[in-house]
Amino acid sequence: MSGQDLLTISPLIAAILVAVAVLIVDLIAPGRREPALATALLGLGIVAILTAVAGRTPGQAFGGSYTVDALTTFLDLLFISIVALTIAFAPDYLEPRDLPIAEFAAVLVFALTGAMLIAASTDLLVLFLALELMVLPGYLLAAYAKHDSLSTEGAIKYFLLGSFSSAIFLFGLAYVWGLTGSTRVADVAAELGKIASGGPALAPGLALGLAFMTTGVAFKIAAVPFHYWTPDAYQGSPTPVTGYLSVGPKVGAFALILRLFVGALGSLRGDWLDVVIVLAALTMTLGNLVALTQNNVKRMLAYSSIAHTGYMLVGLAAYAGGRQEGLQGLLYYGAAYTFMNLGAFAVVAALQRRPGVTSSLDTFAGLGRREPLLGILMTLFLLSLTGIPPTAGFFGKAYVILAAVQAGGPLTILAVIAMLNAAAAAFYYLRVVVYMFMREPATEGEPQRHGNLVWAGLWTTSVLTILLGLIPAPLLSVVSDAARALGS
Amino acid sequence: MPGGILTLITFVPLVGAIVIAFLPRERPDLARFTALGTALLAWVFSLYMLIGFLPTHPGFQFVEVADWIPAFGIQYKLGADGLSVVLVVLTTTLTWISILASFGPIKERVKEYMISFLILEVGMVGVFLALDLFLFYIFWEVVLVPMYLIIGIWGGPNRIYATIKFVLYTLVGSLLMLVAILATGFAFQDAHGGQWAGAFDFEQLRAFAGTTGFANGLQLGAFLAFFLAFAIKIPMFPFHTWLPDAHVEAPTAGSVILAGILLKLGGYGFIRFALPLFPDAAKTYAPAIIVLSLIALIYGAIVALVQPDLKKLVAYSSVSHMGFVTLGIFIFQQQGLYGAILQMVNHGLITGALFLLVGVIYERTHDRTIAKMSGLSGRTPVYAATFGFFMLASVGLPGLSGFVGEFLVLVGSFAYAPAVAGVATITMIFTAGYLLWMYQRLFFGEMSAFLHEIGSHLTDMRPVETLTLVPLATLVVVFGLFPGLVLHLVDGTVTSVLNSLGRATAINLLFWQ
Repeated sequence: MSGQDLLTISPLIAAILVAVAVLIVDLIAPGRREPALATALLGLGIVAILTAVAGRTPGQAFGGSYTVDALTTFLDLLFISIVALTIAFAPDYLEPRDLPIAEFAAVLVFALTGAMLIAASTDLLVLFLALELMVLPGYLLAAYAKHDSLSTEGAIKYFLLGSFSSAIFLFGLAYVWGLTGSTRVADVAAELGKIASGGPALAPGLALGLAFMTTGVAFKIAAVPFHYWTPDAYQGSPTPVTGYLSVGPKVGAFALILRLFVGALGSLRGDWLDVVIVLAALTMTLGNLVALTQNNVKRMLAYSSIAHTGYMLVGLAAYAGGRQEGLQGLLYYGAAYTFMNLGAFAVVAALQRRPGVTSSLDTFAGLGRREPLLGILMTLFLLSLTGIPPTAGFFGKAYVILAAVQAGGPLTILAVIAMLNAAAAAFYYLRVVVYMFMREPATEGEPQRHGNLVWAGLWTTSVLTILLGLIPAPLLSVVSDAARALGS
Repeated sequence: MPGGILTLITFVPLVGAIVIAFLPRERPDLARFTALGTALLAWVFSLYMLIGFLPTHPGFQFVEVADWIPAFGIQYKLGADGLSVVLVVLTTTLTWISILASFGPIKERVKEYMISFLILEVGMVGVFLALDLFLFYIFWEVVLVPMYLIIGIWGGPNRIYATIKFVLYTLVGSLLMLVAILATGFAFQDAHGGQWAGAFDFEQLRAFAGTTGFANGLQLGAFLAFFLAFAIKIPMFPFHTWLPDAHVEAPTAGSVILAGILLKLGGYGFIRFALPLFPDAAKTYAPAIIVLSLIALIYGAIVALVQPDLKKLVAYSSVSHMGFVTLGIFIFQQQGLYGAILQMVNHGLITGALFLLVGVIYERTHDRTIAKMSGLSGRTPVYAATFGFFMLASVGLPGLSGFVGEFLVLVGSFAYAPAVAGVATITMIFTAGYLLWMYQRLFFGEMSAFLHEIGSHLTDMRPVETLTLVPLATLVVVFGLFPGLVLHLVDGTVTSVLNSLGRATAINLLFWQ
């Protein structure tokens, strides 16, 4: 370890310090939300600046197990945005329910360190540790409403299946390590490159390792048929947590896929192409079909997030089919999905400000009249999730589809499946719009006041949702740099 | 002619919509007049474009190009040829008429209504002017959302079912078209050594299609996707089932725009994009499409005959009339194409007017059942005369504009195959049948008990209502007597489309490579 190493990982250290600082501030001024929130958000700002600064000098630390490149910087900034937005949305929901706010922020920042470490890991063991570091706080958050039996149930499911999948993943990792003799991503890639060019047949051990790792990761991103924990965990959790869970750990798991499957196992991509195609098709279709039948918006968004995993997998499949553009599409989609989905969950959380308000469709009835601005913003997020231009969601879809069409062959069919799915998804997204603008409320509810932080977060997400659709060029260049950093 | 006129026409309504968003809710009249003013301004700009347009000049005029997403060669590119000019002017005209016609009927959420309408205009004009396939797709989808809201919020009792059906049908077609657009762009890029520049530029794609040509597999697939999107929009049998529902539930002005412009988006898409880009595939599928057109002609007419609801009758007559458009396009022949374009314009004027007239009676009686009305002419003579005028125009009375378009299509289809012309001609008899019968039931005979109950509410046309119909009636007469005014403008378009098709050969569906 050298001083240079410490400098390279300074954003990570800063993030840990922020989490600790939030806890200490809460000790000094217990029960007051402003100091803790200010510490957390200011701290995240500093972490973001450090990330940007560290990103200017790409390099490796700790003997090649920690890498700073364009991909790291892009993902880190995305994770920081996710956590900052979640912290902005949460207090209005948590406070009326007597759930502590400072701990919430601290736990989230701890999860952030895990996610940031995933983005930078180029060593299989570090990758696994980072993954655990990211998901453990997630279990805590899912059970955050500890007196609510639904929250506890969802958290237990999430925890059991999460640990189970981690174990499976680790098992697969062991095989790869055994066969290549190294845990460094670069060494593994080189070793596998030799095997891949040596002969057509995949060593049985390697195939087994690949299968276990794919299964483990499929659990984490909630790909069908490994998605069963998702709806319960999402519905049971406090709404801001659900918003976070649907975005943070998912993008984190995709980061893991990029570092592991693309970085280390990229030379075997022909072997996992078929699996990814099938996973993508199943995930989109089942996610959408089940979402169609939901009457609870939160649960509907949970299933729809499964469908979005499927669209992102289309990008991965396009990469496996030989197109670098697939990765760029995946990253673009990840960013677009982050903002539109967080925004949608923020509106649900804002509506549930008063304890006892459910997230059923009826809650949305007449919202367009009661709180027009909230209704319009929700419409924007839903249109973006549907993929209607000019929004971020549209451009993300177009990009992923373009990559699939470029790869050709069975991927063209996958592209068509994706688009048919998008049309079906329009039904359940637009149904919320129907309730908001075309139905009268069953009971006359008065408009609620929402905190400034919530509005700031909503404006951020909505402006980004529009900008990423109207002016995609800046993010496009960032994304293509990030994909290039992975090599091909 | 200063640059930027096309951008001006397209985005003036957006500016108006933003202004309306900041107007006070308690003053709906402010929103109404701002919307009308904006639409009139866009109309004036479009007339200015019409005057500056040079019909003899080949290719696109007033072209504006700016890089938008350079990484994929996607441009902000607008341009107009005769077809665009004609349809843009039709759009801007019908938009201000529709907004004026909404002054009375729309009393709730006026602000939101006017904003939706103006954004709808942005989308429609943009579709007719976009010369970049990606940009075209964006405008195409932009049309969808405001129409969804207009039907869903201000529509009739069954509006939610109707509007969701409308959206889902349209989306299935358009999303597949997106795949086809991306595949086409990629094929172009692939053929140009991986350079994205110009990959979505319509003029470059058309030039490529005219020389090298797209591979047969791509043509067959992409044409099918484009076809589905446009056929749903036009709508062609058997993709038409959303139309009657949407029309019946939409507010009057929504129906006018739906019939007047939205259906034309499909016809425009065929002529502008599907034929020139995939001429071989177009030739391959043409016989099947002609058969579908004939079915639409007859089926629409027969179903219209038995409709008890006045608005539904006009809606089904649209299916039948638009059958002439697709027939005219797909016989790949000069008169047919001229006829199809003219028919699009005429249908926009005439059916738009008929929906306005249906709105007039609905506002007074809150009913559209033909069986409940009779003897209307006694109490409302002006209304009866106006209705009669547009009804006869729709029948295709010589001297009014409806006749010329259908006649040209018939001439063209006779050259293509006399049997096709025969079937189409029989339809015209049906058309006369259902329209005249409807007119007889509504206006002649004793006044019905239902109308007696309405009593003094049953007034003749108000000045505003007359004002909305006079321009349409004038154009119907003018285009009926001087169809050359329109045909002259679209000379260049027709020649260029026929040129693209001239070199094409049908692909053998069993053994294509």
